[in-house]
Amino acid sequence: MIRETYVHYVAAVYALAWIVTLAYVVILNSKLGRLERELDEIAGLLEAKADG
Amino acid sequence: MRDRTTAARLDRATCAALVTAVLMPVALGLIFFYVPNDADQGFSQRIFYFHVPIAMTTYALFAWGALNAARYLWTGDLSLDLRSYVPMHLGVIFGTLTLVTGSFWAKVSWGTWWYWGSTELNTFLIIFLFYCAYFMLRFSVDPGEKRARYSAVYALLGVGLIPISVLAVHLGQDVIHPITFTDHGAQMDGSMLFTFLMALAAMLSLAVAMYLVELRGKRLDEQVTRLRRLAEGTR
Repeated sequence: MIRETYVHYVAAVYALAWIVTLAYVVILNSKLGRLERELDEIAGLLEAKADG
Repeated sequence: MRDRTTAARLDRATCAALVTAVLMPVALGLIFFYVPNDADQGFSQRIFYFHVPIAMTTYALFAWGALNAARYLWTGDLSLDLRSYVPMHLGVIFGTLTLVTGSFWAKVSWGTWWYWGSTELNTFLIIFLFYCAYFMLRFSVDPGEKRARYSAVYALLGVGLIPISVLAVHLGQDVIHPITFTDHGAQMDGSMLFTFLMALAAMLSLAVAMYLVELRGKRLDEQVTRLRRLAEGTR
């Protein structure tokens, strides 16, 4: 006999693990976005230098 | 030369992610559709198949970080500093998950979110807090060899707590926290052990994938900083 409350606890544990993993991917993605912007800035700096 | 190294690292990260993508659904399938209900705890015992692999992965990450810290102190190779830092960072994430999932299991099994009388719970909490303080130490020192050396020594000190944690449980004869792995082997039937091992493999491969991706990100970050200094003409 499965008590419903226990199902909720088990579901919470598994959902939490996935939420943390997804949050990690989202944070990594935002960091990659920041790196992309920084590279654009550096490219701009180098182009400005090349143009004199 | 650098391109080949980057490509190899990308391949390893992709491989680890693919292995995880295969193992994780298999493990979840086994947990919810194959393994029988535990005779004592019933359906809620399924928390065990995620909680314990997460805890073991936490220990593995801290141990890997400490091993790289030791390698850094031995060789002086600064690239090993990042290889030590990234597992520590991931270890704290997995450690947080261990504490939270463990609290859910405690609530179901013991009727309380935390039990201060359990040696295993308390020693795990001490290890976790110890490695949380690692970041305070690391980010209070300017980047460079000094920071790498301090971080490495701290990481090595902490890993000594892991065997103490395991020994404390067995020596203390913990009566409330279940001891599944004894000197006589695993105290569970074949299907449960198989499911547990699959879940452990899935969790470890997930940690490896996260480690490789985060390491790549940190290295890219360092390269961009170096490039910016060169572009601005401030070495």
